[in-house]
Amino acid sequence: MDVLQAVDRITELLESGIGQTSNTSMRIPTALRDAAAVAVRELGAASSTTALTTAALRASLEAVVMRAVLDDHVRQHPEARPTLGDLAIAAAELDGHPLAGEPARIRQAAVEVEARHPDAEPEDVLLWAEARAIPAS
Amino acid sequence: MTHLIVLDNEAVQALSDPAHKKHVRVISHVRVAADRKSRGLPIRIVVPTAVRVEAGWDRTEPAWALLNRLLIGDITLDGLNANIAASIRQDARVPVADAHIGAVIQATTAAKVTVVTSDPGDVRRVAADREVNVITI
Repeated sequence: MDVLQAVDRITELLESGIGQTSNTSMRIPTALRDAAAVAVRELGAASSTTALTTAALRASLEAVVMRAVLDDHVRQHPEARPTLGDLAIAAAELDGHPLAGEPARIRQAAVEVEARHPDAEPEDVLLWAEARAIPAS
Repeated sequence: MTHLIVLDNEAVQALSDPAHKKHVRVISHVRVAADRKSRGLPIRIVVPTAVRVEAGWDRTEPAWALLNRLLIGDITLDGLNANIAASIRQDARVPVADAHIGAVIQATTAAKVTVVTSDPGDVRRVAADREVNVITI
């Protein structure tokens, strides 16, 4: 099974409905199970620990699928791979960040951050761009 | 605190075509959304079905496999949305697809709404009083 076949199978299963359930022998840490129970009972995090676990697992699987698809896409189309600067601008725009309207400043910050931290995240770039934007006193 | 990201026709076209001049820009938004989802943040990318019609996005056609695999969900033009969209179309004199975007913005229970669009003016018009983060591509 290649990546896209796996993605399609996972998606098919995610979309096939939640009517059919099964008991599982999956072992999870007792403390995690108990923490989930407290979150449900005391904080109203979900209607049940099962619902909380299911929602978290679904969201996690969706993220895995999306990232796998994007990775496959840029493998096939290397010109479509966003730079750290592109991602930082996108993050700023999604957040409504004050620097979202200054892409050149964000790109410059991305170059500076990436030179020292090749694995930096878009949010690291925004933090650096914001720090650079503060006038020196 | 769900963040709903709504794509308009131009965003759909850009995402579907690696040769489109705005492809990397929209891919960047999807990548950031996927990364945030993998960190457990509740974030969803959706397309109003009227936008899908305008874009020619038929989920059964292989040409649209990338967008289908990215788990971009439909928001259907059901009875409730149709009523809101009809009112928006009447008041704002916008195409059906834009009116459906407006209905999605106005009817959602998501805490934050972002629209990725080539026409920010229309989006602000159809959003009425609802706060919306507009990303212009």
